[in-house]
Amino acid sequence: MSTGDAWRPRLASRARLKFDPIAKQEMLLFPEAALALNETGAAIVRLCDGARSIDEIVEQLSRKFRSADRDALMREVVDFIATIRARGLLQ
Amino acid sequence: MIAASRPYTLVAELTYRCPLRCVYCSNPVNFHRSRSELSTGEWRRVFSEAAELGVMQLHFSGGEPVLRDDLVELIQDARAHDLYTNLITGGTLLDEDKLRRLREAGLDHIQLSIQGAARESAETIAAVRSHRKKLEVARLIGKIGFPLTLNVVIHRLNIAEVPELIGIALELGANRLELANTQFYAWAAENRRALMPTREQYDRAEGIAREAIVKYRGTLEIAFVQNDYLSGEPKPCMGGWGRSYICINPTGEVMPCHAASVIPGLRFDSVRDGALEKIWRDSPAMNAFRGDDWMMEPCRTCARKEIDFGGCRCQAFMLAGNAAEADPICRLSPHNGIVESMRKNSGTDAPLIYRDAKTSRKLSKAIGSL
Repeated sequence: MSTGDAWRPRLASRARLKFDPIAKQEMLLFPEAALALNETGAAIVRLCDGARSIDEIVEQLSRKFRSADRDALMREVVDFIATIRARGLLQ
Repeated sequence: MIAASRPYTLVAELTYRCPLRCVYCSNPVNFHRSRSELSTGEWRRVFSEAAELGVMQLHFSGGEPVLRDDLVELIQDARAHDLYTNLITGGTLLDEDKLRRLREAGLDHIQLSIQGAARESAETIAAVRSHRKKLEVARLIGKIGFPLTLNVVIHRLNIAEVPELIGIALELGANRLELANTQFYAWAAENRRALMPTREQYDRAEGIAREAIVKYRGTLEIAFVQNDYLSGEPKPCMGGWGRSYICINPTGEVMPCHAASVIPGLRFDSVRDGALEKIWRDSPAMNAFRGDDWMMEPCRTCARKEIDFGGCRCQAFMLAGNAAEADPICRLSPHNGIVESMRKNSGTDAPLIYRDAKTSRKLSKAIGSL
């Protein structure tokens, strides 16, 4: 998957974030299933708004989580985005 | 008794009424016996209780849910509980004005069925002039900005149209295309001989679908739902019976899946008689195959019992005569041989039985006299 500047991922219109009050975690809901997200996953999904490149998403997250290891964060973001993209949840 | 987890998904079958007569309909063959549908107020109580119980997703299904005059109100109500709402429809009763009202009510997603790529084959399945109207509605859905899943039930009579179906989904700008091979329950079981594809047809369609899945990744998500008679893979029954899924039929009976009424002796409790939480936790039908205490060999000691849950309980009953047996689709089932002989016992000479109230009455009598 390219991590270049060109692609600005946007959450597919059929998917929606919803907080699960029972498990106390964010869920990414779409018609055929749902994914439970950890804090980073939910933060990434919120940044997939079609306006930010992956570099910019990592930049935002490293500020939010005050993460020193930018490479590790980049790997996490790229893996997560690849996972939800493969399920057709990003455009 | 196994402690109940919490349900994530509720399928609300608002009505069994439908303008179409599809030969693969998943409504019970004796649907004509269901008369008094839940009222608006009863459904609203159900949605409130479902949200409290942990349900996240609500599928409005049928029959044709658009036949309910209160659909907009029910969607508004579900959204007020922050449920993700999906409408599963044949589309023939929708127009631009109705779609806009559904949008304003907060509906998240529409799943529209078409019966084939060509008008003739599609209308052979639905027995009603509907194909052009459905394509028109699909375009309106896109125009209004709804995300669209196009669902096509695949069988012997349309399986050769898979390439054209992919073309239609691309042209309509659908987000997702479900090539859902027929599951042989209810009306589809009555029509099994006519609907079962040949091995060659199936393998060819699957190959085309698999290629398209990769080719259109990122543009159109394509799902190929297997025909288990041909794939040989037992279906993981509802992700576990009574584990995450509730279906409520038009009269309010609470079921672990929409097909479960085929299993004799299951007692379904109705939301008319009690709270959903109590029914989910305590009802005999919900507990009948929860966990794995009910399992027989070879399932009981199988390494895959938490993966496929012994396959489908309804199919175990239909093919092996006992809902607690392994699904005969599994090659470890002592009844596995019946699957191949039933698969082969198919052909274009078999007549099509159309779903309607008159045929429902006739078939119910036949079942009753067994």
